[in-house]
Amino acid sequence: MFTLENFLFLLQGVPNTLAISFLSFALGFALGIPTAIVKQFSPYGLGYVADAYISIMRGIPVLVIMLLFHFGMAGIIPMFKSAFLSATFALGLRSGAFQSQIFRGAINSVGRQQMMAATSLGMNRWQAFRYVILPQAFIVALPGLGSEIALLIKDSSYAFVLGVLELTKYSDIVRKATRSFLYPYLIAAILYILITFPVANYLDRLGSRLKTKYGLR
Amino acid sequence: MEGFLTTVEMTFLGLAGGFALGILSALGDVYGTKLMKVVIAGYVEFFRGSPLIVQLLFFYFSIPALTGLNWDAFTAGAVTLMLNSGAYQKGYFKGAIEAVFKDQLMAAKSLGMTFRQTLRYVVLPQALRIVIPPWTNEYISLGLSTSALIVLGIRELTNISKSIAAQTFRPLEVYLFASAIYFIWITVSMKIFDWIYEKVKIPGLEVNI
Repeated sequence: MFTLENFLFLLQGVPNTLAISFLSFALGFALGIPTAIVKQFSPYGLGYVADAYISIMRGIPVLVIMLLFHFGMAGIIPMFKSAFLSATFALGLRSGAFQSQIFRGAINSVGRQQMMAATSLGMNRWQAFRYVILPQAFIVALPGLGSEIALLIKDSSYAFVLGVLELTKYSDIVRKATRSFLYPYLIAAILYILITFPVANYLDRLGSRLKTKYGLR
Repeated sequence: MEGFLTTVEMTFLGLAGGFALGILSALGDVYGTKLMKVVIAGYVEFFRGSPLIVQLLFFYFSIPALTGLNWDAFTAGAVTLMLNSGAYQKGYFKGAIEAVFKDQLMAAKSLGMTFRQTLRYVVLPQALRIVIPPWTNEYISLGLSTSALIVLGIRELTNISKSIAAQTFRPLEVYLFASAIYFIWITVSMKIFDWIYEKVKIPGLEVNI
């Protein structure tokens, strides 16, 4: 039978799920902005490096990257002995590629005129980018970042395959222990929905509120 | 390589099933009754809001316990992929159907076409063209998601690589090779879909969804 106790046990998986998703989001953010800038302006002809990074991350399942890190590279990079860190880094690397696409779309939506206007005011290209384009692009990017967080929360379930004790793993443990076949996964699914929905929704609304406030379209 | 075939097979099964479900629920959502809209919204929210792995486990373990229906991992996996992909494809189709302007519906009506004729000869030919680029993204993401089938023990590319890695003690090379296969497959299929899109597109009808 599935009891309240089982439910509380299941909840213990939530912190790890959140930790994986938010750490990998932070990593993806840290990688995404530089990648977007490199792809946009291609300094020293480095644009193709960003291109290669994005298309590789787009063409390989994140689970295979996790397995590659955890089982293939643990000998070379000791950090990957930890299943948790392998999963987080795999998700973070992929998220960096995805977030760079979101930022690039946002940067392009701000428009070239503003760049010209800023440089004509005597700013150099970097200042114009840093103080004029980027703050606006960031607001435009918010809804996209919201769905990216939601994607990461859901895909953190791949860490289950590496044996990380997150929500999916806990629901699997409960299923095996209680032989209750229906509730563990159903409740896990509902918990995932309850976690992802407010986050994505909040960033979406924050995005449209700030857009109205600063008169962006 | 045998694993790769299973991967491709599952992707196409999921895509085909999801295609039918996606079109139907998009049509239901755009033209249907209130009740239909609520049911479809619930379906989409469940499959888009929860992870594919949890859905797979749910369908493989919970559905048989609930209904007495007995199915093997392959069928459960295929059905889950179809339902999951249908929920995503619904969004793309809805966008594409709505991108076909309302005026055209009125014009078709004034020409004496029935609703079904309008759908068949006016809306769908345009919507299906518009939907190709976002649909390609769904193809890619579903293709990569098939690696989640490993949790049901289905012998697709990722699972096979995992066993080979365990047998040969050369995980680095095996996973790099598997990555290369996925990468080549995805890149080649993307090029093919881009080519199809260029072939069938109607000049002047480029809409961003």
